[in-house]
Amino acid sequence: MIQLSKNYSLPDSASEFIPIKILSVGGAGLNALDRIVLDGLERADVVAINTDVQSLASSVAPHKVQLGRSMTRGLGAGGDPELGYQAAVESADEIREALADARMIFICAGLGGGTGSGAAPYIAQLAREAGALVVAFATLPFSFEGKRRNTQAREALARFNEVTNAVICFENDKMGDIVPPQAGIHQAFAVADSTISQSVRSIVNLIQRPGLIHIGFDDLLAALRSRNGRCLFGFGESDSDNRAHEALTQALKNPLMDRGRMLEEAGRVLVQVAGGPGMTLSEVEILMQELGRHVSEQTQILFGAAVDGRLGDRLAVTIISSLTADEDLIPQSRDSGTVSNAPAKLPVWEQPHEISPKIEIEPEPTLMEVSEPADMIPFEEPTPVGTAPPPAVEPVLSKPEPIVSMPHKTPVIEEKPSAEKSVQAKQETLQFEPVTRGRFEKSEPTIVEGEDLDVPTYLRKNVKVK
Amino acid sequence: MASNNLIIGLEIGTSKICVVVGESRPDGTVKILGVGQTPSRGIRKGEIVDFETAMKCVHEAVIDAEQKSDVMIRSVYVAVAGSHLQSFNNRGCVMLPEDRDEIDEQDVEDVRISAREVSLPAQNAFLHSVIHHYHVDGQDGVLNPIGMLGQKLEADFHIIHGVRTRIQNTIRCVKELPLDVEDVVFSGFASAQVVLTQQQKEVGALMIDIGGGTTDYILYAEGAVKQSGCLAIGGDHITNDISMGLRIPMARAEKLKTDEGSCILGNCLPGEMISLKDDSGFAGKEIERETLNTIIHFRLRETFELLKRRLDEEPFIGYLGGGIFITGGCSLLSGIDHLAEEIFDMPAHVAHAQTASGVTSAVENPQFSTAIGLIKYAQAVQTDRPRRGIRGIFGKIFAGRR
Repeated sequence: MIQLSKNYSLPDSASEFIPIKILSVGGAGLNALDRIVLDGLERADVVAINTDVQSLASSVAPHKVQLGRSMTRGLGAGGDPELGYQAAVESADEIREALADARMIFICAGLGGGTGSGAAPYIAQLAREAGALVVAFATLPFSFEGKRRNTQAREALARFNEVTNAVICFENDKMGDIVPPQAGIHQAFAVADSTISQSVRSIVNLIQRPGLIHIGFDDLLAALRSRNGRCLFGFGESDSDNRAHEALTQALKNPLMDRGRMLEEAGRVLVQVAGGPGMTLSEVEILMQELGRHVSEQTQILFGAAVDGRLGDRLAVTIISSLTADEDLIPQSRDSGTVSNAPAKLPVWEQPHEISPKIEIEPEPTLMEVSEPADMIPFEEPTPVGTAPPPAVEPVLSKPEPIVSMPHKTPVIEEKPSAEKSVQAKQETLQFEPVTRGRFEKSEPTIVEGEDLDVPTYLRKNVKVK
Repeated sequence: MASNNLIIGLEIGTSKICVVVGESRPDGTVKILGVGQTPSRGIRKGEIVDFETAMKCVHEAVIDAEQKSDVMIRSVYVAVAGSHLQSFNNRGCVMLPEDRDEIDEQDVEDVRISAREVSLPAQNAFLHSVIHHYHVDGQDGVLNPIGMLGQKLEADFHIIHGVRTRIQNTIRCVKELPLDVEDVVFSGFASAQVVLTQQQKEVGALMIDIGGGTTDYILYAEGAVKQSGCLAIGGDHITNDISMGLRIPMARAEKLKTDEGSCILGNCLPGEMISLKDDSGFAGKEIERETLNTIIHFRLRETFELLKRRLDEEPFIGYLGGGIFITGGCSLLSGIDHLAEEIFDMPAHVAHAQTASGVTSAVENPQFSTAIGLIKYAQAVQTDRPRRGIRGIFGKIFAGRR
């Protein structure tokens, strides 16, 4: 709480930051939010939204919105998404007010319950209408919570996929894996919360932290874009002698990462390395080399590096990526995607203006509006071309990327632009001059006091040998 | 069966795998019956990276030793190394019950257990806990408290621990052969058993075992281990440096290092050249001797300086009356003792196993310090056993858990 008040007193520096809001919806969302606030988050506002007054009251968030005052009368939505949705509709004005002025909005929700599944997608939609970029952090219930809840969760997830720019989805079952079997159930939930908290914070940091090699929201979207795929996320931090190696290992251990095995299939991987002023080039290099072993050769690596004095001796690694199409998660979204897209979509199109500065391509909003609602691009495309000037054709392709909406066809087309686009952003992928480790190439590096001792001493000390 | 007092030491080193068959004699000496060895493959920095290949090599070495010594090898003592090994000092304490004030064996065992009750990282396992001294009711420097009167027994232990799974890899490699593993021993600890005499341990000595892949060090003062550890730098690094610096193949670099290498600078004629004969796949080459020595010098200097920085954190480094003893394959590099003397500012000697008879040609090579040390260690543990029967049982339990 104290940390929060500190944040508010930073108006001058805040102006450089992108205004970010974190909305949490429903009981599980509030738990995660509390964790986020307690762990300390700078450079972002948090808003708690729920139907249940009791849980709202106990939340540590400074800004709270109660949904459905007259409809639920301060009680929860009782596990009914329809009720949750109605409640959100009733309080739409308040919500709009809460999310005003944010360029980027993160929505945390535990799917499966009434408010989380019902209200959260609607709120996401309002956020898009307000012109913000929306990223959802959603948790799927444990399988022991019952089939009904799981179905509700998947439906809500499908809705999320339609209306948000990106969805980062946590399966509680997966998190359970990292909790020791004898640990209590509260611990399992706590792990889920802290994993969400960690990812929210690291994404906020990723975007807000001034980087040597900056990672922008465009990179983030590029990494996350895949057909309602599954998000891979890993975060690791270490301050030991061998911190580069350890931070990476830790990041790969993340429950969403499956020990790095899944990275192999990922098309794009975003990596950010942040450290105090003591971070050395060789450490970054070792880390990237090691990571290189986990990804395939075709994988495009979006690399970012940042120096942040507050990290001290620590070195932090954030890895974000996504896999295309995971059968588990998509089935409904496919169907519902096509059906329910249209209503959700329209508002979306304003947002390209918002981020356009980054993308550098002249936005052709008109175009978007036309092409989007239809989804069926092949038919629509001719029309836009007609309206748009010739240069527009290419941009059209690259434009849609923020829209992670998943009609089957668009993604296929989007795929290429993303590649192109990252070509534009080429200066972000940095090739280090390889320092040879010779015989020890494949073994664990010997790092003592920040130096890679496998590299010949005379090279490191710059001793001339003929 | 005469094999009762047979002890076999197995060192799975980065450059060679070596099996020493020894016979422990009642008078405390060790007779070496035979030494088997093979160059090792599949091992980097003291740890197994290719399980299958490493296993084959171990098997060959064991067969070699069996042939040379004419015994059947069933169980071995195994040395482990690797950068994951760490150590620290800890004090355990037990209070005797009100109605008794004579310290017995059980109390000594309890105090050892209490000293072990420290939080290791979850994945780590104990390798050794070596006693420094006991304190009885505040009286310092008690060597054997059993039978003494007192209320409070304290003991300082030096604890060596490492990552459980990485130690297990070595054990599994041996067990699959199949051979029994009697015990696993930190390789530096084993070497010290034969490189340092009791007297040197009393006055204080630092032993540095520079092997192929790792540098193990162990510091004795007042007859007890004060500090130990393992650095994943060794002869391989020197060879690699030479190979890259002079652009010659690894095998050539290795030969050049052992035949011509020295770590003393400015000791050769200006422009003195070493000519490498041509070979299939390698055109001959002339190399300036000074260049070779420079590469070796900088690597070793850095290694010693790193060690010194680690040891400087402890206050014992000032008390070493015995000086430094360098052993392991790399100690054969000429001039290494002078370099160590210069850096640590105290006398340094190249040493090899001292107290053994038999195939002495093997004993007198610092390359075998660890394997012979294993036998000496085993001998010490075995003579201990009848007296401290309970420790054997605990040893088994811990061995089972490893």
